Amino acid sequence: MNKTVSIIIILGLLVAMGIVFFGKPNPDFQSVQNVEIKNGIQYITINARGGYSPKVSSAKAGIPTKLIMETSGAYDCSSSLVIKSIGYQKILPQTGKTEIDLGIPKAGEPLQGVCGMGMYNFLINFS
Amino acid sequence: MSKKYTFHVTGTHCASCKILIEDILMDSTGSTSSLQAGSPQEEQNLVRKVRVDLAKEIVEIETESEKNIEELAQIFTEKVRSSGYIISVDGFDKLTTGKKIPENKDNDAIWKAIPIGLIFLILFFLLQKSGILNIGIGGQTTPVTSFIIGLIASVSSCLAIVGGLVLSLSAKVSQDNVSDNKTFFLFHTGRLVSFAVLGGVLGLIGSAIGINFMFSAILGIIASIVMLILGLNLVGVFAKNKIALPSGIFNFFRRIEHKTLTPLIIGFGTFFLPCGFTQSMQVAALSSGSFNSGFLIMFAFALGTLPVLALLSFGSASFAHSKHAPLFFKSSGVVVIGLGLFALLAGLAGLGIIDPLFSI
Repeated sequence: MNKTVSIIIILGLLVAMGIVFFGKPNPDFQSVQNVEIKNGIQYITINARGGYSPKVSSAKAGIPTKLIMETSGAYDCSSSLVIKSIGYQKILPQTGKTEIDLGIPKAGEPLQGVCGMGMYNFLINFS
Repeated sequence: MSKKYTFHVTGTHCASCKILIEDILMDSTGSTSSLQAGSPQEEQNLVRKVRVDLAKEIVEIETESEKNIEELAQIFTEKVRSSGYIISVDGFDKLTTGKKIPENKDNDAIWKAIPIGLIFLILFFLLQKSGILNIGIGGQTTPVTSFIIGLIASVSSCLAIVGGLVLSLSAKVSQDNVSDNKTFFLFHTGRLVSFAVLGGVLGLIGSAIGINFMFSAILGIIASIVMLILGLNLVGVFAKNKIALPSGIFNFFRRIEHKTLTPLIIGFGTFFLPCGFTQSMQVAALSSGSFNSGFLIMFAFALGTLPVLALLSFGSASFAHSKHAPLFFKSSGVVVIGLGLFALLAGLAGLGIIDPLFSI
């Protein structure tokens, strides 16, 4: 094969791969209302299955907060959850809800959750 | 009276080629068993000593044969040709074309191999992103569902690490021409048996042991580094410089490759590699409450992953022995490097060492 042709194809493929990795994921879930305050406690709900949704959520800082991980038939990586900043590591049940106490989060300190293998993640911003 | 000849040798793509050539030439002409099998004339080719110099691409042979150097080159080439080497007096291939043996054939293959490898990588990651694999399977985990989950897992992102490792090791084993089918058979047996037995143990002792994140994450990073090294090796980055390690290290590696135990242990080790599906099944086995049910769940899961992994290893063996071998090795090298990088970055992100770079 011609070297030049090959280099052009390689560059094209690299661009395509960049789009796959960094391109916009399937419809944005951010519009979904996943934060609610009940009896003075803030609940943030995140779905785990084939990734986390919503990927980015915003919540209030300064009030007691609990994170609820919802799984329904999740067998993939997203069921093994790691939240480094609070030292949380657990394999979520295949189906069910897991409550994680986040204490009273401070403003400007986002919380990041990653799956055990690191290919899925979610972020909660506190303000 | 033994005389010493120096020949050119081509096709020495790997570090262990040195040992392979030395073994073939010593074995086939020196040992009595093959003498009886061979033709009577070969009895005169008694080889006393063989020494391959990879850096200079020459082989020095001490022989008691009375034949002239041209004839000897032909005889030796016939022995090693099936393994892809050509031995000649002056770098010309007398047996077939009579032309100068092409040196840059391998370099051409790389320009085809990179696009091929990239296409496979893109297809793989597109598959992950498509969400097709996120089929929810509700209800109780039975051996049937765990078999299906195994089938899904074998094409999921777990393939990046387990499959990448299988592909790189298989290609390497085939390239070094070790008895590959036996090795793969042992690997898959080791995998099936250890999944079943460890699953049973998990079911038996329940929550007594937890599956350590840290442990599997570090194992995953080691695996991805192994993949990167093997991948670079397959692409031929190291071959260019012909880094010749001391033959003591060679012999050590070779002994490992030949060991019956090694593929069994690697198969066993895949139980602990980071893979969300495997970990979920381990939890399912853990909560199943008995040796038998844990055994069945993990065995069915491993069985589900078998078709794709077996295809990878036996497929690479058959490619490796075809005429497309150089292209295959380099393409799979590209794929393995891509998967290795992905697994390494993801693994570091999982440990919290770096920020997650991407999210499929």
